[in-house]
Amino acid sequence: MSQEKIDILQRALKREKAARKAAEKILEEKSGELYFSSQKIKELLAEKSSQLQGIFENIVDAYVVMEINGDILKFNDSATKLFGYDIDKESINAMDLIHKEDYEHAFSSFSELQANGFYKDYETRIFTKYGKVKWVHVNGSIVFDKDKKPVAAQGIVRDITEIKNLELQKEKLVLKLEKSNDELHQYAHIVSHDLKSPLRSIDALVNWLKEDNLEKFDEASIQNISLIETTLEKMEQLISDVLNYSSVAADNSNIIDINTNTLVKELLNIIYIPNHIEIKICNTLPTIKGDKTKLQQVFQNLISNAIKFSDKEKGLIEIDFKNIDDFYQFSIKDNGIGVEKRYHERIFKIFHSVNNSKDSSGIGLSIVKKIVDLYGGEIWLTSEPNVGTTFFFTLKKQPNGRS
Amino acid sequence: MKGIVFREFLDLVEEKFGLEMVDEIITKSDLESGGAYTSIGTYSFSEMLQLLQHLSAKTNISIDNLLLIYGEHLFAVLGNSYPGLLETYADPIEMLASIEDHIHIEVRKIYPDAELPTFIVEERTENSLVMIYKSSRAMHHFGLGLMNKTFEYFNSSATIVLEKIKEDGTEVKFIINKN
Amino acid sequence: MDKVLKIMLIEDDMIEVMKLNRTISKLGLKHKIIEANNGEEALILLSEKDNLPDIILLDLNMPKINGIEFLNILKNDDSLKYIPTVILTTSNNHKDLLECYKIGVSGYVLKPLKYEAYVDKIEKLLSYWSINELIKI
Repeated sequence: MSQEKIDILQRALKREKAARKAAEKILEEKSGELYFSSQKIKELLAEKSSQLQGIFENIVDAYVVMEINGDILKFNDSATKLFGYDIDKESINAMDLIHKEDYEHAFSSFSELQANGFYKDYETRIFTKYGKVKWVHVNGSIVFDKDKKPVAAQGIVRDITEIKNLELQKEKLVLKLEKSNDELHQYAHIVSHDLKSPLRSIDALVNWLKEDNLEKFDEASIQNISLIETTLEKMEQLISDVLNYSSVAADNSNIIDINTNTLVKELLNIIYIPNHIEIKICNTLPTIKGDKTKLQQVFQNLISNAIKFSDKEKGLIEIDFKNIDDFYQFSIKDNGIGVEKRYHERIFKIFHSVNNSKDSSGIGLSIVKKIVDLYGGEIWLTSEPNVGTTFFFTLKKQPNGRS
Repeated sequence: MKGIVFREFLDLVEEKFGLEMVDEIITKSDLESGGAYTSIGTYSFSEMLQLLQHLSAKTNISIDNLLLIYGEHLFAVLGNSYPGLLETYADPIEMLASIEDHIHIEVRKIYPDAELPTFIVEERTENSLVMIYKSSRAMHHFGLGLMNKTFEYFNSSATIVLEKIKEDGTEVKFIINKN
Repeated sequence: MDKVLKIMLIEDDMIEVMKLNRTISKLGLKHKIIEANNGEEALILLSEKDNLPDIILLDLNMPKINGIEFLNILKNDDSLKYIPTVILTTSNNHKDLLECYKIGVSGYVLKPLKYEAYVDKIEKLLSYWSINELIKI
């Protein structure tokens, strides 16, 4: 072999040795890395397993794992407590637990669970081991193996018996309340009828007395008889007002779109307005959702009051409107006698008329307040005695949205 | 560049031109690795470039042609090492069209830091394929060699035309028509 | 010429009965009044088919059979259902109003507080019915 050839071979050998060393070094590093990452995976696995075990044992809700055919595989402590079965000693199927009347719903829900892989907010009645019926809420999902084949179903089961019972109780209470409200309403009508009948009779009798004795009675007696009549009228008005007040109930059945602009204009045609009083609508009033009769009552009472308490040579009443976020704000301003500050709260209370006049029973404003309250709004006033009063009230734009 | 590419390249040079040629091109090149390559190592691409240049000068074969032959050689090596990969395909067009989406992903599983070219499919019919090759290495003929062998492997053949989009060969259009 | 009516007043309140009687005599009308204190009494009177009233004035709030029950009986009777029945009541309860018109009444008059107003209403009511053609069976 030539020296040149030997040199080539030696160089090749040297390269091979160097390459081998390099390879060994790389391998060593890699195996170190591998060991390190496998340690990390092991730690992570142990940590996750212990977390899962902790969740399984500690969740307050019942946790159930079952086979696709419904055979129960696992109960946590809460589940054992809820259902009453000891899964280690007896085997049960999910269908043994479900209330017979809820079977159909159970089947359709399980089909959905299989189709989607999960099912949320399933509610059903179950039988415990001791025959007790309970309401439960279930969030379930399918457990898949690594080939994505469904192997089991798992679910978090919550006992909602208490909540369900409360719901049922609430429904019953609401029904009862509606009924007693209605009864009260009817009762108010009967009472008002029974109270008004004697008044009518007295009025007739007094009239006959007057008719039959026109020559015999002196001036003073005729005067007294007319006072009896006036008193009767006041009494009748009082009864009507009490009936009206008791009739203002939360009733959403007549909620429709109401153009308050038209409503107020119609009212101004009905209400008696003396010649010296001018009524101005300063803004186009909005169309709102509400009950026509109730809104009429509100405007009629406030406008009538403004007219009633006008004492100036030229009376001016201004009706205005503003859009404020979730509310409509109306205002009715007059230049009448005004209300002293200390009465501002009191006037909204029933039978608290500040002015003890013949045509105010003191119920009007309390009806207005009751209605405004129903609409989730507020009512208040600003006033200066002898200068005038402005009543403000707001109505919520979504009257149904109130709680 | 992965060591296996150097190992296989030098093995091919030794097989075709003898150990002397291997010794000569290594000795003439200025190599950081000193020419000691292990298939699991990673080396600078400039080493491959020097080896190719010296081999080309010595043999009077163009670098492109050297790469073509080398590509053809490497296909067999890879085919032997990873037979499973080839078996997943029934058709060469299908296999070539999936370089980017499948083959390179598999390659990265074995060599996470491999620097791979991109092959963007522009047009594909049952019997034809137009792809754009992009790589700073300009080793399009290496790709051509692999492709030739691909058709051969499926007992088929094709006419493959290369059109340079960039003069330096870093972007090349491959127009492949099955015969 | 206006007819002379036979009016049946079904009313439990004695003074209300007196009011109608006095009103008719005060207005100088010739109408004849048949008094019934309650629904049952009215039904007995109505069983005399040769002495049926031309119109019935009916109070709603009565003991025993109340006005609405009585109305139902009346409107289900083949011969009595043709007698125009006008409600005379204090109740402006919307529910009652609706129910009465549903069963079929010929009028719904609220009893006013003032006696003068009552006289006025009764005069109008009777003069209206005395110009109406009525069915005799």
